[in-house]
Amino acid sequence: MIYLLGALIHSRAGVLGLLRLSEYLTVRAIGAALTAIILTLVITPRFIRYLHRRGLVDQLRDTGVPSAFDKAGTPVMGGTVMVGCIVIATLLWCNLASRYVLTVLVALLWFGAIGLVDDVAKWRARSGNRGMTEAMKLLLQGTFAAGLVLLLVSPWTPLPARDAMTLYVPFVKTAIAHSLVVYLPLVFVFVMLVGNSVNITDGLDGLAIVPSVFVIGVLGFFAYIMGNAIWAKYLFYPLLPGAGELIVFCAAFAGAGIGFLWYNAYPAQIFMGDAGSLAIGGCVATISVLLKQEALFLILGGLFVVEAVSSQVQDKIGIKWLGRRIFYRAPFHHQMQHTGLAETKVVIRLWIISGILALAALATVKLR
Amino acid sequence: MSEPTRILLTGGGTAGHVNPALAIGRALAGEGTRFLFVGVRGRAEAKVVPREGMPIRFVRASGYPGKRPSLELARFLANLSVGVVKACVILLTFRPDVIVGTGGFASAPVMVAAAMLRRLRLSHARIFVHEQNAAPGKLNQLVGRLADRVFVTFPETLGSFPTNGIVSGYPLRRRIATVGRDEARAQLDFEVPPGRQVVFAFGGSQGARTINRAIVDALGDLLPLRDRLFIIHGTGLFRRGYYHAARDTEERLESRYTEAERREIASFYVSRPFFYQIEHVYALSDLVVARGGAGSLYELASLQLPAIIIPKANLPGDHQVMNARAMARCGGGTVIYEEATLVDGRIVEQVDGRRLARTIEGLLADPVRLAQMGRCSQAFTERDGLAIIERCIRSTEVATPPASPLDECLGEAAVAPAAVEALPSNQALLTRLERASAQHGASYRPNMVVAWADDRAYFISRAASLLVSRDWERRNLGVKLVGLLHARDKTPLLLALLNDRRPAPLVKRLFGGDYVQVGFIRRNIMTALGRLGEVSPEIEAALLAALEDPYFEVRAEAARTAALLADRLSDRSGMVAGLRRLLPDRWLEVAAAAAHALGKVGQAHDALPALLALRDARFWRLRAAALEGLLALVERGEGGDPAALVGPLNRFVLTSTDFTPEFQIKRLYGRVLDAIAAREGGDR
Repeated sequence: MIYLLGALIHSRAGVLGLLRLSEYLTVRAIGAALTAIILTLVITPRFIRYLHRRGLVDQLRDTGVPSAFDKAGTPVMGGTVMVGCIVIATLLWCNLASRYVLTVLVALLWFGAIGLVDDVAKWRARSGNRGMTEAMKLLLQGTFAAGLVLLLVSPWTPLPARDAMTLYVPFVKTAIAHSLVVYLPLVFVFVMLVGNSVNITDGLDGLAIVPSVFVIGVLGFFAYIMGNAIWAKYLFYPLLPGAGELIVFCAAFAGAGIGFLWYNAYPAQIFMGDAGSLAIGGCVATISVLLKQEALFLILGGLFVVEAVSSQVQDKIGIKWLGRRIFYRAPFHHQMQHTGLAETKVVIRLWIISGILALAALATVKLR
Repeated sequence: MSEPTRILLTGGGTAGHVNPALAIGRALAGEGTRFLFVGVRGRAEAKVVPREGMPIRFVRASGYPGKRPSLELARFLANLSVGVVKACVILLTFRPDVIVGTGGFASAPVMVAAAMLRRLRLSHARIFVHEQNAAPGKLNQLVGRLADRVFVTFPETLGSFPTNGIVSGYPLRRRIATVGRDEARAQLDFEVPPGRQVVFAFGGSQGARTINRAIVDALGDLLPLRDRLFIIHGTGLFRRGYYHAARDTEERLESRYTEAERREIASFYVSRPFFYQIEHVYALSDLVVARGGAGSLYELASLQLPAIIIPKANLPGDHQVMNARAMARCGGGTVIYEEATLVDGRIVEQVDGRRLARTIEGLLADPVRLAQMGRCSQAFTERDGLAIIERCIRSTEVATPPASPLDECLGEAAVAPAAVEALPSNQALLTRLERASAQHGASYRPNMVVAWADDRAYFISRAASLLVSRDWERRNLGVKLVGLLHARDKTPLLLALLNDRRPAPLVKRLFGGDYVQVGFIRRNIMTALGRLGEVSPEIEAALLAALEDPYFEVRAEAARTAALLADRLSDRSGMVAGLRRLLPDRWLEVAAAAAHALGKVGQAHDALPALLALRDARFWRLRAAALEGLLALVERGEGGDPAALVGPLNRFVLTSTDFTPEFQIKRLYGRVLDAIAAREGGDR
């Protein structure tokens, strides 16, 4: 909105030099981040009080964790505030004509809505374990993944035609595959897996949000260099005209995340719930696909990948099929807790690990 | 009353659904009534219905394979849609006034089509459903809601059809007439010597392997009675792949008895695959051994025949068991459950022949009781099912469901639903037992959940029968139930499972599987042994072996069980050695459980040094477990010289990576609640 306003006034009058700044991505990114932080900081406490008053609090699942002291009674659905603030900041500061931004906004709202419905269903069931059926969730997510895949090959794709179906991997300058049959199934699987991985990680106070902010920050950096002709040429990345606009979105996201952490840090006053974790997962997956960084995500979001894979292997292969546990406990953060680490210690150690992974992902920019 | 003139009957797939439909049809027959039966080609109805002189038309249908997406499900849906279209055509051309469905997949297309056409006001037919079993089938559950009336055999079933259900009992074919003994004797193709008591054993038209084998096994024990007894055995027509009823019976006779014995047996035993005129056999019988199907039990009861009932376990809703127990409750029969037992090292599900022989012997020796049982069994058929059904269908007012269907069109036959609770499924039972066990801890007893000994006996039998399942999840469920039900006589079965070291399929081993009896089963056997609380040399050997199991949870659980049984172990030093070997285990859980158990099992000279050596273990949970072990040692007086213990204890590393936070506000809140509760208590 501010972008359009600035462009309009600037082109007509040529005066009001300050508004000219709104053409710069960096300025708008900072603006978006600050807007999102302030909004979340202001809205969340009111939202918490509202949730308490409506009795919209969780009943913690019985996961058999020894340190599961009584934390029941903390409100969920904090993700809704985050999503709302991100949307407001994006509408204010982004160029809404950008197909990149529109696609990611759809991902955010779609996954956020799935999560919100699930949270409400869980709350209705009052047990904490029931919610939407897993099949239903997967079906709705699959609908989005399929839609994204179709969008990529349609005429409305945000990507330039030559890059619509290419697959890049870190450390290699050129695309390793350029084929519909290889790429599209991969994208589908990727969106499904990553979309849920944040949800699985979101088990301890602050565990999901900080690594998410790291990931989204690095992705924003990639959006900037790949959307910039000079940087893209210099670093041998395929130029994605208009992708730079995503940095504004990423900044809004990081800002909302930090604002949320303010209240979610141990001991949490609010949990993000599926409304937050699915929204983050869906966004991160979609941005990675749009920026051709699916393979890089294995490093960048390594924490999420390990959590999701360990949980699935333990449950689907071990417990359901083999009749034994493969890991001591899963997902990975439960394993750490079970060996006798306090929740705070687990969370901080995993922050450190995700920080290292984010730096490693950044390093691949030059190591190609 | 108006005479329905066009009646459409449907139901089938198996004879159990066809016969009630035919019985109802026959009851409704009047002058000018036209019938049509709709079924599936090649199934029971295709043979039986034309023999009754009733026109039959066929539709396509197949059994519901479960909601998991599969090829069969696709076929089921395709068949159903084709079937429904054809059934619509049949309904629109025949234009019935009354549709009666008795369940079974063959009736699905017609019932669905009838419901659809009525919704579209293309059919004015009234729809009736009869449910034979205590647990309604899937189709009847669905169609029952749309039907004008649902007739049920058992009062328990009313819960599924609260607005339109009616207890009618089972519509028996009136064909089974009482025949005189002499007449019957003359009609049979074998001779039944006069003056003998006759036992008739059969498992329905297809036969039941359990009954066939049990009868053959019982013959040896019944030999002494050969002058007073005559056994007529209907083996059944079943012959498919793994089981051929008649041949299997023959082979079992030959393998179990010598030639001389067989000659003697022949003097009081005769077997036939099938009796085309069963009424003649019934007429001669003093006692019947049968399965618990609703049809056969109602048949027996109407003839006042006392019965030994061997119900088939683990059926949907346990309907055979419910039937059998209903009959036993009113005094008309005795129930014997199938039991999983260990035969030559293998777990076999069977009825013990000796037990069956003893039951037969005992009943026959007491003619007064037999006669009483016969009289009592009639109470089981207190209602004339057909009359109720007939009256309801003939009455015209049923089109609008009345407020209280029970009193409607029944008059004196109305029976309030008895408060008979359906038996919980194995899974539901497990949940209840586990909850009670968690709540009561060491003082837990299974009778806190299962109050009635008869229930417990059946649950144990049902749980043990799971142990032979091909599906490991069901075996695992069985193991848990055996432990929680305190079924001590099943311990040998658990040990047999534990010693079964057949390897898992290669694919599973590649992913980390080991044996056919998977890790969870072995772990839960350890838990169950702890719950059963028995100690014998075999159990101790099993514990020692489990301490070296390849799967970590089994090792950990074995250590915990050793701690539970510590007081009664005979080979303590062996156990201590085994536990000490676990202290350096790669899995923290195992090492911790071993350290704890050492304190319960060990003594000053062997356990103490090992536990003290853990003072600087890397994980605090292991150090904590060592302290727990030390505590147990000291409390048991095995701490050695107390003064000498303090020194080494001083060097225990006490830093920890974990702590228990305390939310002060929650503690205060709790205190307020406590104070309120105390006040309330004081006021009262």
